[in-house]
Amino acid sequence: MAERLWSGCRRRRALATSAVLGVAWLQASAGVAAPSPQNSSQRRAEGAPSESASAPGASKTPGTGAQHDAGLLKRYCITCHNNRLKTAELSLETIDPAHVAKDAATWEKVLKKLQSGAMPPMGRPRPDAAAYASFASWLTGELDGVARANPKPGRPATFHRLNRVEYQNAVRDILGLELDSSALLPGDDAAFGFDNIGDMLTVSPDLLDRYLSAANKISRLAVGDTSVQLGSAMYPISQYLLQADRMSEDLPFSSRGGAAIRHYFPADGEYTLKVRFAGNSPIGASSMRERPPQTLDVRIDGDRVAQLTTTGRDFEQPADVGAVETKVMVKAGPRVVGVSFPRSTVMAETRFPQLFPWGNSAAFGTNTGSVRYLNVSGVEVTGPQNPQGLGDTPSRQRIFTCRPTQTSQEAACAKKILGGLARRAYRRSVTPADVQVLLGFYEKARAERGFDGAMQVAVERLLVDPDFLFRVERDPVRTAPGSNYRVDDLALASRLSFFLWSSVPDEELLQLAEKGTLKQPAVLEAQVKRMLADQRSSSLVTNFAAQWLYLRNIRGANPDSYQFPDWDDNLRVALARETELFLDYQFRADRGVPELLTADYTFLNQRLARHYGIPNVYGEHFRRVQLKGEYNRGGLLGHGSIQLVTSFANRTSPVVRGKWLLENFLNYTPPPPPPDVPDLPAVGKDQAKLPLRQRVENHRKNPVCAGCHNVMDPLGFALENYDAIGRYRVRDEGSVIDSSGATPDGTKFEGLHGLRSIMEKRQVEFVATVTEKLLVYAIGRGVEYYDQPAVRAIVRDAAADNYRWSSLIQGIVKGIPFQMKQARLPEEKVAQ
Amino acid sequence: MIITKKAIPRRTVLRGLGTTLALPLLESMVPALSAIAKTDAKVARRFSVVYVAHGYAPGFWTPKGTGADYELTMPLQPLAKFRDRMLLLSGVDNTAALQRPGDPRGGHGRMAPAFMCGVHAKPTQGADFQAGVSVDQIAAQHLGKETQLPSLQLSLEPVDFSGSCDSGYSCVYTNTLCWRGPTMPLPMEDNPRAVFERLFGDSGTTEGRLRAKRIREKRSILDSVLDKARTLSEGTSASDRRLFDEYLQSIRDVERRLETAEAQSSRELPVVAQPAAVPQTFPEYAKLMLDLQILAYQADLTRVSTFMLAKELSGRTYPEIGVAEGHHALSHHGDMEDKLSMLTKVNAHHTSMLAYFLDRLQSIPDGEGTLLDHSVVLYGSGHGDPNKHDPINVPLAIFGGDLIKGGRHVHHDHQHVANVHLALLHTLGVPAESVGDGNAAISLT
Repeated sequence: MAERLWSGCRRRRALATSAVLGVAWLQASAGVAAPSPQNSSQRRAEGAPSESASAPGASKTPGTGAQHDAGLLKRYCITCHNNRLKTAELSLETIDPAHVAKDAATWEKVLKKLQSGAMPPMGRPRPDAAAYASFASWLTGELDGVARANPKPGRPATFHRLNRVEYQNAVRDILGLELDSSALLPGDDAAFGFDNIGDMLTVSPDLLDRYLSAANKISRLAVGDTSVQLGSAMYPISQYLLQADRMSEDLPFSSRGGAAIRHYFPADGEYTLKVRFAGNSPIGASSMRERPPQTLDVRIDGDRVAQLTTTGRDFEQPADVGAVETKVMVKAGPRVVGVSFPRSTVMAETRFPQLFPWGNSAAFGTNTGSVRYLNVSGVEVTGPQNPQGLGDTPSRQRIFTCRPTQTSQEAACAKKILGGLARRAYRRSVTPADVQVLLGFYEKARAERGFDGAMQVAVERLLVDPDFLFRVERDPVRTAPGSNYRVDDLALASRLSFFLWSSVPDEELLQLAEKGTLKQPAVLEAQVKRMLADQRSSSLVTNFAAQWLYLRNIRGANPDSYQFPDWDDNLRVALARETELFLDYQFRADRGVPELLTADYTFLNQRLARHYGIPNVYGEHFRRVQLKGEYNRGGLLGHGSIQLVTSFANRTSPVVRGKWLLENFLNYTPPPPPPDVPDLPAVGKDQAKLPLRQRVENHRKNPVCAGCHNVMDPLGFALENYDAIGRYRVRDEGSVIDSSGATPDGTKFEGLHGLRSIMEKRQVEFVATVTEKLLVYAIGRGVEYYDQPAVRAIVRDAAADNYRWSSLIQGIVKGIPFQMKQARLPEEKVAQ
Repeated sequence: MIITKKAIPRRTVLRGLGTTLALPLLESMVPALSAIAKTDAKVARRFSVVYVAHGYAPGFWTPKGTGADYELTMPLQPLAKFRDRMLLLSGVDNTAALQRPGDPRGGHGRMAPAFMCGVHAKPTQGADFQAGVSVDQIAAQHLGKETQLPSLQLSLEPVDFSGSCDSGYSCVYTNTLCWRGPTMPLPMEDNPRAVFERLFGDSGTTEGRLRAKRIREKRSILDSVLDKARTLSEGTSASDRRLFDEYLQSIRDVERRLETAEAQSSRELPVVAQPAAVPQTFPEYAKLMLDLQILAYQADLTRVSTFMLAKELSGRTYPEIGVAEGHHALSHHGDMEDKLSMLTKVNAHHTSMLAYFLDRLQSIPDGEGTLLDHSVVLYGSGHGDPNKHDPINVPLAIFGGDLIKGGRHVHHDHQHVANVHLALLHTLGVPAESVGDGNAAISLT
């Protein structure tokens, strides 16, 4: 096969790229330097940002090494990569191995190919394993040496706007108010897979308008609003949520159905809670008369405040039929409104006995001839009527650090409060000018609005201040253009908190930064440890991992309900929760990164366990489950969530799954198909009946397609046993699924288990990929060639510690891209 | 939130909508609203763009016959009622989207910027994206001078799904249709509640004095912010400041809007209820967003709106019409019968939403005629045949009242879509010189 593809160097670019991919699976042992633990402790003692060590066995004598390596280049590389042919737009003919620094960007590309064993392509002569490894090792050492001699820290955006998530968390941490910013602000554009890339976070008048509205709303909720108007909030419940069991941890164990709603009560007062019901499907006219009244419990923060009865409604009747409401006195603040039915354990004899709903689908509301359970369709909270006061909400407690009892105390108290808030919001010590701006707004409003009301106006002003909305990192004065400098401690504090918490620095970080001690290695390391142990580091799961692994897409998935009648929102939520809990555990227990793939346990509830076919898991709460081989699960690749987001709405796609794996786990983006790829020939109707595997194999029959698809497709085929909603299956379109495959170099593997073995062999590449993605997320810019030495160093250092998350994260924080910055170049050229 | 036109006491009930989705505009309000401010007895012109991704399969857009005597293709049947208002174009190309050497193969990333701005989007994945000025924003610069909001940008899909961008192209090229400048994309609103608040403000009242007060508060905040922002940007280079300059520019723009809003604060607004949540089905969602645009026109809060009815690369399925495969997957139909059939069903579904919009525009009196009489609605896609990302012969239809001579199909010979846009702008009285790479306006008569 290789011979057919190759006719010397004169080939179409298509074949060139396909050949490159064709050997991406050779053993990755070549070129990756061995870990050197003794060097890492040396580095810590020195206190300098982490530097890369040269690999053992590298040729130290430039003369001999360069000569030796030039020979290799001539023999194995320049036959294709020369000035005349410029294969893949790369020529190595004039590159000088004696002066790697001159073409570091190109050399890094070369090294990447060597590390994955992709070059020379399969079928072409290559040096023996020892020479190959020695060359790769030498090149690593050279590049790392170049970085040591002339570090390039890069230049993230000077003005970096807070994204929506960061804004939400900042409000939570500064004002003590939890709210959903997606209702207040538009989404942010992403780049390199993440939505916290400084240069992508644009500002528009529309966005500014939203910031103004949001500031108004938030300040009124946080401070409390004396002029709060009667308002109403509707919380609809998905009709695709089967309400057969306890629906939430916030509802009693003995409950069935309903929902637990988090609602913010703006003031102490009377509120009307109205509950509407989903329509029952009438089964014959008699069922309407026979439907018994059901009791609904209404709870606020777990305390039952009402017990209401309803006979429900038929789905043809208007939405308000059967709705119930009650008036309750509620104190201001965030509270959980729980509505549920008590679970009936005793059933009266009726003509249509209620059957247990296992195997029934919320989508169809099927229930094998029984009277359907009554479902809540929505909860509406209206109020406050007769507001009594602003109460003692968490945010008011946070904001009002003093309470003036006399008018004469007010000015000083206002100053104190606003100074404190500004400090947290601006992430630095505040100047008198800062406070005066806010005080100005307070003073103007004081007469008309009272102390609290005037405070609200000042907080509103605070929330649209550019010092709050933007992270600003300016070059220090008199910095030579293009020179490197260490970011100051305050900037470092912000970088840390936005990396690990997606939020503003806390008081401890600010104080260390002000003292100038944050940059000290021991202090920095201790802070990272503290921050990882803090609950706020869950943002690494909900923000970093959710974007990296496409988990945000779960909420947008819309599997075809006819093909997947088992699909409902209970399953959607469960799939997301499994992965969320799994990832959270990885970070909290500081597991090794490879365990993402190799784990032999997961987190399940009854619904998900039933979906996976795993026995003896009961109840809707999640718990850790040890996995047995016959369960066919284990690691992220066995998670239904991943299988869902890498499928189409009506079927799996081995190509999508294979590509996803290459990009997200091995940092390899397959090139798009070449421009002149012919369409697959139009096929007859029979084609549709073939199992997916055979349909996809058409890609590989055409040699032009085979190069890339030989790499992507087998990875996807290995997961073909998991359908588009993550369920294990043995057959597809009637035929038994064939989940076997082979890498282009001939290594065979089969199924999830085989795929995991393949990935285990590429462990270092996997860790390097995770590191690189984490680095992008940490510094808010794309990773460039000059960041690679830092990535290599982090991976090397972490090896001694089994690649624990904390090692990777500490390594990133210690590294040059995180701690240093390049001053702008003259003529504002982008840093090369 | 029910907004009444009288001064409301502070305890007025603000009620959410529950499961109803259409905005119940009270008929009695309509006559009052029809007396929208006009200058020199000139009618206020509205401009709407309704964009759908992934084009039409060949043969399903271009009708047989030209002139007045042509046969509507299947996906266009829902528009039959508006035949006499519709100028159906074929042979128009999204020329700027043609692939150039060095471009990523995909294409979706090029389609919308080329269609809306008439420019070839810079092929990049990073933050150095570059497009042009979109046709709706050119219109808004002129038509938006008299309204509180220069324009509205609405869509039906959130932008925070991973991997939803075209490979090799920055996400911004598919996330938005509207560009104020080559590096200034505008976010598209997908949250009906948020749209509602942008239209009616956050004061919770229509009472003129209170609204004016709120506007003055906002202006005072912005003045203060501008002062602060100026000091913050001192000593930074132009390239560093690029995003921050957009921030400063945005502040000035919002201040201008607030000025207009304050001047118009005594205007009457309709009684409506605020949408509660994003509706669960596509038709309900689309119609709700269309209703909000109608409302905005009716209350003269804006005169330009852009609606992304279907997003490039959208994987949306349409179970309500029996289509269980994603739109993007269907668009690569490979000339297969079953895919073509489903794709055209989706096309027809989209045009039925457009028909709903036109219907509502026609039902609302505006001065001497209806809103539709005084509007220009542009419906189109950046793709011709989506199977191979072909930007040749894109679907394009223009609807309008007295400004557009409808009732005919005009076939062009490889006309640049930017030239059509330029012609539309001139028709609306917008003195634009060019749109993107376009060279000259065509004749629309």
